[in-house]
Amino acid sequence: MFKQLFPGLLLGLTLAMPAFAGTAADDLQVIDPWAREVPPGLTTSAGFLGMKNTGDKEHKLVAAESANTGMIELHTHINDNGVMRMRPVKNIPVAPGGTTTLQPGGLHLMLMMIKKPLKAGEKMAITLVFEDGSKKDIEAEVRHFSMENMQH
Amino acid sequence: MKLFFRLFLALLVSTSSVYAWSLFSSSGEERYPGMGGDFTLQSAEGEISLKDLRGKVVLMYFGYTSCPDVCPTSLGALSTALKQLDSKEMQQIQPLFISVDPERDNGDKLQEYSRYFHPKMIGATSNLDYLQALASRYGAYFRKVEVENSSMGYAVDHSSTIFVVGKNGKLMDMIQHSDSPKRILEHIRMTLENRH
Ligand SMILES: [Cu+2]
Repeated sequence: MFKQLFPGLLLGLTLAMPAFAGTAADDLQVIDPWAREVPPGLTTSAGFLGMKNTGDKEHKLVAAESANTGMIELHTHINDNGVMRMRPVKNIPVAPGGTTTLQPGGLHLMLMMIKKPLKAGEKMAITLVFEDGSKKDIEAEVRHFSMENMQH
Repeated sequence: MKLFFRLFLALLVSTSSVYAWSLFSSSGEERYPGMGGDFTLQSAEGEISLKDLRGKVVLMYFGYTSCPDVCPTSLGALSTALKQLDSKEMQQIQPLFISVDPERDNGDKLQEYSRYFHPKMIGATSNLDYLQALASRYGAYFRKVEVENSSMGYAVDHSSTIFVVGKNGKLMDMIQHSDSPKRILEHIRMTLENRH
């Protein structure tokens, strides 16, 4: 039902509001957003997700916001012969037709000054902000480390 | 000629006895010559010295609590591996988290953090000079770096290795960051059962 309606809906939107067609928020599909549970006493953690670009031009994630944190930065890890160097990045690009994945050991949303501890099973609302000014609201599932390691 | 023969014989006897000795004491052999060694650190429950842990396999990890990803990934994988050990094996294990960020990590905070990953894990630290010397003896690396365009203030670049110290206090094994809990478990059992 939804699958049949959706293309029609999309077409309708495109015709009705051509200015909104092809924004990053429209083109990017967010895959499995999650955040790591915060160990006691701490206020920093990391968030992860995949972004699939269904459009025909490159999009860039430039910021992220959440009412639950004082600050979110975009970071990566550089693995320099076994030495992990965590550094901020200006943006995270997603090529047309491609997928960019933020995952442990690499790109992540650095969640800083977390206001209340994230507990496994909770959802954390995050707003992704793209270079073209469009925004996307997502809900990241909070996971305990034992839930990540099951996938190995 | 006779002298040569006697020398030869002496050499033969000494080499074979060295060989026999090395067979006999293979558990005392240095797997990483010149590396590792004893140390004393401060924890919430007082001083902790490696030499007081003889008879236990000590699993050491250098990190810091505000590390949002690399440390929790490694410690989480270690914790998942430790859950697979039976209680008899676990009695012979001492996990140890060494903070290289004493400025931000004090005793109680470290203890709480360590116990989150495993109830037996001890969190300990020292002053920076001592930690730097200790890390380099084990072949670990860490360095505090100012980071521009970030409200982190500073980051700590660091290696992410679990050092396995045998019951004899000697460095026996190194487990790399990307290893799965299954692989970590295999490494731990190798040292526990003296199969190196
Ligand atoms: Cu980060």
